[in-house]
This record gives sequence, C-alpha cells and structure tokens, in this order.
Amino acid sequence: MDYIAEGFVTALKLLLRGDPETYSAVFTTLRVSSLSIIASLGMGIPLGFSLGYYSFPGKRQIRAVVDTLLALPTVVVGLFVYALITRRGPLGSLGLLFTIPGIAVAQTILVLPIVIALTATAVSHLDVRFKRTVLTLGAGRRRTAITALYESRYGVLAAGVAAYGRAIGEVGVSMMIGGNIKWHTRTITTAIALETGKGQFAMGIALGLVLLLLAFVINWVLQIMRRRA
Amino acid sequence: MSNSALYEIQNLKCRYDENFTLDIPSLTIERGKSYGFVGPNGSGKSTLLRIFAFLDEPDEGRVRFHQGDFSSERALAKKELSKSKAVTMLLQEPYLLKRSVFENIAYGLRVRGIRKHLRARVNESLGMVGLDPGMFSHRKWSELSGGEAQRVALAARLILKPMVLILDEPTASVDRLNAQLIKKIIKVVRKQYLTTLLIASHDLVWLHEVCDEILKMHEGRIMGSGEENFVTGPWFSELDGLWSTLLTDGQRIRALPPPGEELPLRKNAIALLDPTSIIITTERPDHISAQNILFGRLVHMYTFEHSERVKLDIQVSDMSLTCSITRKAASSLGLLPGLRVWVVFKASSLQWQ
Amino acid sequence: MKRRGVAFFFVLLIGSIALFGLVPVVGLAGDLVLHMATTTSTDNTGLLDYLAPVFLQDTGIELQWVAVGTGKALALGQNCDVDVLMVHAPTSELKFVNNGYGTNRREIMYNDFVIIGPKSDRAHISGKSVKEALESISMSRALFASRGDDSGTNKREIELWRALGLSVPDRDSWYIQTGQGMLATINIAEEMDAYTLTDRGTYIKYEDNKSGNPPLVILVEGDEGLRNQYSVIAVNPDNCPSVKYDLALKFIEWITSDKAQRLIGEFTLLGKKLFISNAK
Repeated sequence: MDYIAEGFVTALKLLLRGDPETYSAVFTTLRVSSLSIIASLGMGIPLGFSLGYYSFPGKRQIRAVVDTLLALPTVVVGLFVYALITRRGPLGSLGLLFTIPGIAVAQTILVLPIVIALTATAVSHLDVRFKRTVLTLGAGRRRTAITALYESRYGVLAAGVAAYGRAIGEVGVSMMIGGNIKWHTRTITTAIALETGKGQFAMGIALGLVLLLLAFVINWVLQIMRRRA
Repeated sequence: MSNSALYEIQNLKCRYDENFTLDIPSLTIERGKSYGFVGPNGSGKSTLLRIFAFLDEPDEGRVRFHQGDFSSERALAKKELSKSKAVTMLLQEPYLLKRSVFENIAYGLRVRGIRKHLRARVNESLGMVGLDPGMFSHRKWSELSGGEAQRVALAARLILKPMVLILDEPTASVDRLNAQLIKKIIKVVRKQYLTTLLIASHDLVWLHEVCDEILKMHEGRIMGSGEENFVTGPWFSELDGLWSTLLTDGQRIRALPPPGEELPLRKNAIALLDPTSIIITTERPDHISAQNILFGRLVHMYTFEHSERVKLDIQVSDMSLTCSITRKAASSLGLLPGLRVWVVFKASSLQWQ
Repeated sequence: MKRRGVAFFFVLLIGSIALFGLVPVVGLAGDLVLHMATTTSTDNTGLLDYLAPVFLQDTGIELQWVAVGTGKALALGQNCDVDVLMVHAPTSELKFVNNGYGTNRREIMYNDFVIIGPKSDRAHISGKSVKEALESISMSRALFASRGDDSGTNKREIELWRALGLSVPDRDSWYIQTGQGMLATINIAEEMDAYTLTDRGTYIKYEDNKSGNPPLVILVEGDEGLRNQYSVIAVNPDNCPSVKYDLALKFIEWITSDKAQRLIGEFTLLGKKLFISNAK
C-alpha cells in the first residue's frame, strides 16, 4: 500500500516538474492519435454517411461486416499491419515500421470501423420527417444530403470522439508497430506497459493519471455530444 | 386546360400492396383558390397532398403542374427542381431542423441562394406568425413548445412566399391556443398573398371559412365536393324492390336501386345524399310519402357569412348526416343543438357512385 | 456561434498536433539513424541509454533501439526491419549467421545469470552447482518460474535443463511459464515463492526496488554454465539490401574500440558493476 502512495507522490512530481520522458510519451500519444483521427474521420465520415443515408443492394450485409470489424482485437490488427509494413512485406519500402506514421496507419485501421458504424447509425436515425421537410423547403438532392450530414453532426462528432478515445488508450498496436522506442515512438500506453514491467510504478502512475484525465475529458465531451444528438 | 389551372390530375393511381391508396380519374386545382380535403384516416388525404408537394410520385397517371410534366414515365430533373421551389408543405407534426429558429426560417431562402436582408425577412416572418423576433430568433429548436415550433415551421414556409401552400392537418398536433393562431394566420395569408391553399383538416368550420371548395375523400377517391353525405353498404334487397342498409340502432336507409344493376355485384356500393334534399322536422311526421323517416339528434349548427343557408350536423345512429336548410326554416323550427329531430328524405334522393 | 468557435478551436488544436507528427522529431542527426534490435533485459540495464549519447557524439549517428525478446530480435534482423542486433544467445546467434542473415558477429561483453529463490529455500539449492540445483528443484517439484518467451534468458534456461539430460518440464505443474519480461517474471516468482533464473542486471534492479531487502535472494552463482555472453551482429546486406550496413559497421567498430569497452566496464547499475567487456 505504501509504495502505491509513494508512486502517486513521485508521479505528481514528474508531472509538475515537466519530466521530459513523461511528457515525451504524452506528446507522442497526442501526435499519433491526432494523425489517426484525422485519417479515420476523413475516410470514415463519407463512408459512414453513405452507408447510413442511401439505400443500395447489399447494404445490410455491409453494415453487418462493419459491425463485426468493431470487435477487431488490436493484436490482430497489429499482426496484420506488421506483416504489411515489415521490410519483407509488400509495403516494406515505405519504411513505416517503428515510426509515428506507421502507428497512425495501424490505429486508423483499428478505429475506422468505429467511425463508419457510428456515423451510419447517427445518419440513419434522422427523423423520417427530416427529408420531407427539407425537400419541401426547396432543397435538391445534393443539398438534402449535405443538410442530413449537418443535421446528424452531434452523432458524427460523438463517433469521432469515441474513436479518439479508443486510439489514445490502445497499446497492442502501438507496441507492435511502434516498437516503444524512447523519445520516438514511446506512447503513454506503451510507456506504462514498459515501466510497470520494469517496476517503475511512479512513472507508470504518472502516465496513467494523464491517460485517465484524457479519458475523462473525452468522455465528458462525448456525453455532451450524445445528449444533443 | 384553362389558363388558371395550376394542377391537372389524370388517372392518378397509387398502390400499396393490393389496394389503391389513391384512385382519382380527374382533378383540377385552380390558381389562387383554396381547397379543403376532408375524410377519415386512410382516405388518402396525406398521400394526395404529398403528390401535390412533389414528395411522392404516383404509380400511374399524370400530374401536370403549370406547364411542366411530372409523372412516373417522364420526370425531368430540372423541372422537378423548380417545381419543388414553388410548392411548400407544412407537415402534421411540427418538425424543425436542429438549429436556431433564425436558421430554420432562413433555410429555404439560403437554398434559393438568397443571402441578403435575411434578418429583416426572418423578423417579418416571425411577426406574421405572432412570435417576437427579439425573444425567439436566437432560440434553439429544442427550446420551443409544440405550438411555437409549428408556428416557426409555418414561418419558414411563409417566408418563401410560395405559389402553393399545402397544409396537412396543421392544427391536429398542437394545443388549442396555437391552433387558433395558426388558423387566423392562414386566413390572413389567403387574403394577402393569393397563394393557392391545399388544406387537409378535420376542422370543418375552419375549412368552410377559408376554402373555396371542399373535397371529401373516402378510400382513395374523391367523393364530390360540397357537403354530400355518403351512405355505404352493405345493401340488401327488400321485397318491394328497394335496397336497404342497416344502421346500428336498427334504423334503415332505403334507396332506389341503380337501374339494371344486380345486387351481388354492388353490395358495397356507395350512395350520395345531397344535404339540400333532406327535410327536418321536430315532430314525427305522418302522412309523408318519403320512404326514409329517421330519428336523430342535432349536434351542430353552422352559419356562414353571405349565406342564406344553415348547415346542420345531425347524428343518426352511427352516422353523421349533413343537411342544408334556409335560415328561415331553421328559426321557424326553433332548432337548437341537442334537439331531437326527424330526418326525412326520399329513396330516390340517393345517387349512386 | 460561440459553440462553433469552440469546435473550430479544437479542430485547430488537434490538427496542429497532428502536423507535428509529420515533422520528424529528431532534426539534429537527420539521416544518420541506426536501428537496433536488442533484448528487454539489455534495455532494462540502462547501458544503451548510457552509451548512445557518446556514440552520437563520436560518430554523429543516432542510435534507436527496440527492446524485444531475443527470438523477436533475431526475427527483426531476418526481416530486415533493423540494421544491427545486440543480443545474448550465442547458439541462436551462430545459427543466425550461418543461415546468412547476419555478418560481422563480435562478442562485446558478458555478465552472468543467477538462480534466485525464497530465503526459505525448501529445495536446498543454495551454494550448489547449476546441475545439482536444477536436479533438486525438479525432484522436489519446487515451483520454478520460467520466462517461456524465447528470450536469451529463456533459451539459456532451456539449454541448462537439456544439458542435464532432463526434458524441459513444459507440462509439469510446478513449472510456471510467464511469457513475460525478466522483472515481471521475478515479481511473479516472488508472489508464488518460486525459484527462477535471471540475469544479474535485472536482479540488481529488483533488489533496489525492494530497498535492499528482497524476498528472493541469490542462491546459485558463478557456475560456468551461467555466463551470459553479449554480442553485436550486423544484419547481412546480401539478405537485406536496404539495410544501413555502413552505419552498422561503424557501430560495431565503435563498441569494440578501447574507449567503448572501457565505458562498458565502468558502467554501474545502482552502484554495482554489471558487465565485463571482452571484445577481442
């Protein structure tokens, strides 16, 4: 019990003194997940919107596939991406392994189904009367689609926030693809894994506190978005 | 095809599974006039209104608007666009976009590429529906009562100064106060804007006050205009050759059968009874040759501006009959709502559909 | 309007942070980056943190390393994902080189393994030779924690069992395979009052974590079979044309130099000397 309390105290010291190792991990996490969120939103929102808004043959099957991908274990994604970007693999010449963009690519794959599925849900939950209202006010087809996306904005934002939360908190992919290289690809989660394994509870707790704080903020924003939706 | 025709409908049919939700051989809507549509739920009012609003397409038949063509065979995209901008519809339940009141009302204008003087026009629109711009303009969609929301929705359509304004039960889902307001507003709109109004409502009094013509609908068909009563089957053949149908309290309505028709084929035929062919008495009449002498209760009396006639709604068994008599007759009978009356009409007064 | 401003601000914030990700973090060394795969136990000693800055200063090359199990390190070398290896599993290393995946193997330093266990030492292995100690453990079915992760330590442990003529007690209930790093395995052994084989470096750390009074103590040391030899190997450019062979050679040259060898000898972990340099 004692050393947990001790760990806390040391953790606060690390955070308040601006310990470079700790903050390097924090910024790396922010860098990586920001990259992956931009990529997954950029691809996921249009795809999710189309899936939720339009009708087409095979729509239900595709939706089912996307929902299954939601449950992708991170280690499976990590394995798959590693096989792709290792030097021997098809994308080896890109030199993505052990780099921040590399982790971002893998995280994007992990997080994309979340964005697609939640966006599709948000759009498909639009009130039936929405389309009629907008059409009768004179909107054409394209205008109606754009308005539909804007109308579901809270649900879509919630999708983005949920995805961000997932990306920030995952460790399997970051470890396998990033390599946990100090100063370069060590994220909050991989650092926690490492430090705890080494018995450095203080740093682990410090990082854990930052992660918890981020998770709380993300969750709080998510609640606000969901309520508005 | 007169100049004043705005809509011309021919052989319009809409289907749902095996049944026709709409079956209208011909209908013309004239520019600048206002039309009321009455009928029970499922009679096809909403479907028809949606077709007028170009929200739905008919399965068969043609709807001519202005001079364009809109049918299931040829829908020209460009013409569709301009059509939808001339016509607007207010739905039964108030629905607003998830944005401020201002943005909701301005939406239609923005869609038409209008960017200037928005605030002034929105304020004017809010004023028309009786909402103070200072208090309401910035409110969010979720901060309004049902009645206020419906008025905002109306404002959003009025601001477009549409050629055609379609209202589907505009007061059904709001409280009485707001219903009054909305009805008042529409009356003003009608006077000021020369908009063509198409209104579906259960409120007959209001429709009488606002509409030039009232169309009754029943099972997808238009049963003529005016206030005809329709009497439905099943009909049975009587010994004396007349057809009769039974009301729930045991009374019967008798009609002269259509010439040359056989009963089994027309068991569920519908007969129309002109309101002016009904005679009302307050005592049971003897020595009358009419075959229909029915007993009922006067429920409603309506008077209209500029009319010598009075409309009566009389409850006979499970039916509501509409009668039209002169003011003089009404006052000499001493008619008051709640009074028990006798309803008399000839078997030959029923006209078959 | 206010809300739109907040959302816009957040987007801007995240966008700018993301842009940072695109800009390479280390601007100084620029292109001269050497990727190394090493083991977790090596990384844990802190030796590389100690040597890397000196290497950078002397050669201008930045050393970046991933710490994984020995098996994974060798695999990374085989897959051309790193340029140089620093591991401590001689048998596997020789196979690696013979298969053509590595070249220029040079031994650089050694430390030793020890067998640790609870003070109570129920199997009475204290002071015995490795052979006798393992036999005692096996016969008395005392709990033994193994890393079970194909690491250098793990490979050594398995070699020791085999050398005894014993089969690896894979399925025995007293043989606990943790599948994790050395310190984690020691912690598990402590929880379960078990014996385990560890490198001295990790033990020193563990001892320090317990403020000098650890529940598990060194019971067997100094035996020939416990020597832990470290080597560096360059990934073979014939197998991996894209690998930075010249930088790898520079590193090998540097770490076998007198200066580096002296530094290695002087390196202490929590006040205790850890390695003995032996590059020839």
